Amino acid sequence: MRFVLQKLGFYAVALWAAVTLDFLIPRLMPGNPVDQLVSKLAQKGQVTPETRRAIELLLGADLDQPLWQQYLGFWGQIARGDLGRSVAYFPASVSDMIGQTLPWTLGLIGLSTIISFLLGVGLGTFAGWKRGSWVDNLIPSLTMLQSVPYFWLALILLYVFGLILGVSPLNGGYDPWNTFPGWNWAFIQSVIYYGTLPAITIVVSSVGGWMLGMRNMMVSTLSEDYILTAEAKGIHPRRIMRAYAARNAVLPSVAGFAISLGFVVAGSIVAEVVFSYPGIGNMLLQAVNSNDYALMQGIFLVITLSVLGANLLVDLLYGVIDPRTRARS
Amino acid sequence: MTHSSSRRTRRRALAGVALVSAAAFALSACSGAAQGGSAGGGTTMTVFNGATGTINENWNPFSPTLLQPTLGVIYEPLFWYNLAETSEPTPLLGESWEWNEDGTELTITTREGVEWSDGEPFTANDVAFTFNLLKDTPELNTSGLAASAEATDDTHVTLTFEEPSFMQEPQVLGNQAIVPEHVWSELDDPITTINQNPVGTGAYKLKSFSAQSYLLEKNASYWEEGKPSVDEIRYISLDNADAAAAALISGQVDWMSSFLPDLDGLLADNPDLSYVNTPALTTSIFTCSNADLGCEGPQTDPAVRQAMYHAMDRDQLNQLAGGGFAATGSPTLLLPERDADWIADSANLTTPEGADTDKANELLDAAGWVLGADGVREKDGQKLSMTIQTVTGWSDYISLNDTMAQQFKAVGIELKPTQLAWNEWNDNQTKGTFQLSLDSIGLGASANPYFTYNPRYSTDNTTKVGEPSYGQNFSRYSNPVVDEAIKAAAATDDEAVQKEAYATIQEEIVRDMPYVPIYINSTLTEFNNSKVTGFPSNEDKYAFAASWKAWDNGIVLKTIVPAE
Repeated sequence: MRFVLQKLGFYAVALWAAVTLDFLIPRLMPGNPVDQLVSKLAQKGQVTPETRRAIELLLGADLDQPLWQQYLGFWGQIARGDLGRSVAYFPASVSDMIGQTLPWTLGLIGLSTIISFLLGVGLGTFAGWKRGSWVDNLIPSLTMLQSVPYFWLALILLYVFGLILGVSPLNGGYDPWNTFPGWNWAFIQSVIYYGTLPAITIVVSSVGGWMLGMRNMMVSTLSEDYILTAEAKGIHPRRIMRAYAARNAVLPSVAGFAISLGFVVAGSIVAEVVFSYPGIGNMLLQAVNSNDYALMQGIFLVITLSVLGANLLVDLLYGVIDPRTRARS
Repeated sequence: MTHSSSRRTRRRALAGVALVSAAAFALSACSGAAQGGSAGGGTTMTVFNGATGTINENWNPFSPTLLQPTLGVIYEPLFWYNLAETSEPTPLLGESWEWNEDGTELTITTREGVEWSDGEPFTANDVAFTFNLLKDTPELNTSGLAASAEATDDTHVTLTFEEPSFMQEPQVLGNQAIVPEHVWSELDDPITTINQNPVGTGAYKLKSFSAQSYLLEKNASYWEEGKPSVDEIRYISLDNADAAAAALISGQVDWMSSFLPDLDGLLADNPDLSYVNTPALTTSIFTCSNADLGCEGPQTDPAVRQAMYHAMDRDQLNQLAGGGFAATGSPTLLLPERDADWIADSANLTTPEGADTDKANELLDAAGWVLGADGVREKDGQKLSMTIQTVTGWSDYISLNDTMAQQFKAVGIELKPTQLAWNEWNDNQTKGTFQLSLDSIGLGASANPYFTYNPRYSTDNTTKVGEPSYGQNFSRYSNPVVDEAIKAAAATDDEAVQKEAYATIQEEIVRDMPYVPIYINSTLTEFNNSKVTGFPSNEDKYAFAASWKAWDNGIVLKTIVPAE
C-alpha cells in the first residue's frame, strides 16, 4: 500500500510541474493571438484599428489579466474539464478540436505501435531461439533503419512509393474527392489505403529495437537452469520457447511497450507532418504557428496525461508482475 | 497555416516540380476513378484556396475565422468592387446608392426579386438588420461602423452616420455580407455561432462539410438569370504548394493560387492549364522611420531611405526573386496601371528599373555619411549598417534581402538579412522593434488611395515603439501635413478635392519614403480548364482571380461554365 501511495504522490507532483510548464511556456513565446488574427486578416484586405478592438472583445480581452490570475483560472478550467476556446479555430472549443484529430492519431500511431511491438517481439523470440538463423541476421539491418532519422526515412519511402512508383497517396488521411467521412465502406477503405504507408514507415523504423531487446533477453533466459530442466524433462521445444523462455524474456519489453503507448500521442508530430496526416500532431503545429495558447495547452495536457498515465500504470503493474521491483525488505 | 497567409504558401515551392508533375501523371494514371468525382452526374470543380490541415467549420459572416467562401459565394454584399482593374462597383444586392450633402446619410436602393436560399424574400429590412446588428454588437464590428439603419420601404434603406463618412462607403457597400433577419434575429449568440446551416442569397449553398473538404451546390433560385452553371464546387485542404501543383496537373484541382516555379514550362506540357497574373501587393522595405517615436538606426535618416530607393536594381531583383512575374511599382505606393489617375505627378508614376548608384552616393554624401575603410559609410561614429527581417521559409523575400545586400554594398550601405518565425516577425512590426522589415502593401477596401494612405501613413494608426500599434502604420510615420490631407480627402466625395489632397500626400511620402517600394509582387492563379472554362485571364480581368480573394470568388464561380 505504501508503495502505491508513494508512487501516486510522485505522480501528483509530476503532474503539477507539467501543468505549470504547460501554462507558462506558450506565454513566453513572442506575439499574441490578437496580433496574429489581425495580421492574417490584413493579408487579405483592409484592417482598421476597430478590427483589432473587435477581435480583442471577441476573444475575451483577458490578455491584460495578471499572470497568477490566469494561472488560477487555468487550474479551475482543467478541474471542470473545460479547455477553453481555440483562437485559430474560433469559435470551436479546444475539446472539440482535440476530439476531431485524436482518433486519427490513435488509429495510425496506436495501431502501428502495436503492430511494431508484436512483430518485433515475435521475431526477437525466434531470433533468440535460433541464433545464427536468417532472422537473427535481420537484426543489424533493422536496427540500422531505426538509427536513420525517422523524417528522412519517411520522406524517402514517400518519395519512392508515392512519387516514383505511385502506389500510395502523397498526403492526407483519406480521399476527399470520392469519399465522405462516416461509417461507410468506401471511406474506411480509403482510410486504410491512405494510412498504410505511414504505418509501414513507423513500423519499419521502430521494429528493430523491440526485436533486438527481445532477442537478447531470450538468449540470457535460455541459459537459465529451468530451461535446461525443461529440456531434460523432454518438453516439446515449441512449448519451451513460448511458455518457458519467451514468457520470462518479454517482461522488460512489456514495460517498454506501455511507456511507448503513452508516447503515441506525443510522438506523432513528425509522422503526421511528413504525411500531412490530419492528426493531433499536425494540429499542434498549427496551434503553435498561430499562438493559439488554449489549443496548445489542451494538446500538451493530453500528451502529459497520457505519458504520465502510462508510466503510472507500468509502475503499478510492474509491482504486481515482478515482486522484485516492490521489494524494500 | 490555416488559410493562413495563402499569399505566402505558394512561395514554398520544391525545386523539382518536374518530378512532382511526372509523378502526378503516374498518380492520375493509377487512380483514374478519382478524376471526375461528381456524384450526381453534373459538373463538380475543385478549388484550393490555401487551406491547410484541418478545416474548421465556421460560416458566420461576421467572424474573423470564417471559411472564405462564406463571403461572396454564400452571402453577398450590396455591391462588388473589382480591385483587378479600374471599374465602377457592380450592383449585387443593391441597385444604387446616394449620399446626402454632408456625408452623414447614405440611402441604398436594394434589388427586388431576390430570395434567400430557404425561400424567404430578401428586402431592405435585412440590410437594415445587418447594419444595426453590427452597431449593437462591438464584438462583430471589425470595421468600426457606427451607422444606424432604417428601412423606409421594402427596397430602400437609409444609414445614418454620426459624422461625415464618405470613406465608409466601400466598407458598407462592398465589404459587408448581408444576413437574413428572419434567421439571425432568432440566434442566441451571433458572436460564437458557427452558423452551421448558412442561409444566404449567393450563387451557391452548403451541401456537406468535413474537416478535409466541403462541398457547395448550386442555388437553383439564384436571382441572376441563368447563373451559376457549374453544379457543385468542392473546396479542399492541401498541405503545401507541391501537393496543390500535382493535384492541378492531374485535374484534381481546377483553381488555385500558388507561385509555381517554371510555370511556363508546366503550361507548355499541359494544354489544359492556364494562368493569370494580377500583381496587386507592393513589396516594400518597411523602415522604422521615426526617431521621435523611438526608432533607432540609420534608417531614421530620410537620405538613407532615399539612397536605398535609388540603389536597388529592380530588374535584377525581379529576375532573381520575383521569377520575372513582378510588375513595376510606384513611389506613391499605388498601382501605376490601375491608379494612374490618382497619381498627381507623372514623375512619380513608376519606380526606376535599374540602379542609380550615382544618385544614391550623392544623397548619402550630402547627408554626411562618409565612406569608411571597410567600405561601409559612417556618420558620427554610427555605421550605415541595418538589419532587415523577413520570415523563415519565404524564399522569394529571403532572396530579395540577399540580393539587395549585394546591391547596397556598391553605395556603402551594409544590409544584414535575418530570418525569423512569423510570430516574432509580426510582433516586431506591431511593436516597432525592427530597423527594416520586408512586407507588402495593398488591397484596400476599394481602389481609392485613401485605403492605402490612411492605414499606412496617418498618425492615428501608429504608436510609440514598444507598444503594439493598433493600426497598420508600422513605420511609425507621423507627419501633420499628411494627417491633414488624409482628413480632407475623407471629408468629401468630390474626386477633384480628393486628388488635390492625395497630391499633397504623395509629395510628402515620396520625399520621406517611410516604405521603400521594390516592386508589385505577382499574384499567380492557375486554372485547369478541362472541366470548366471562363476564368479571368490576363486580357479579361473581370475579377481579382486569386482563389483566396473573398468576394471575387463568388463572381468568378457564377461566371464560369462547364467545358464543352
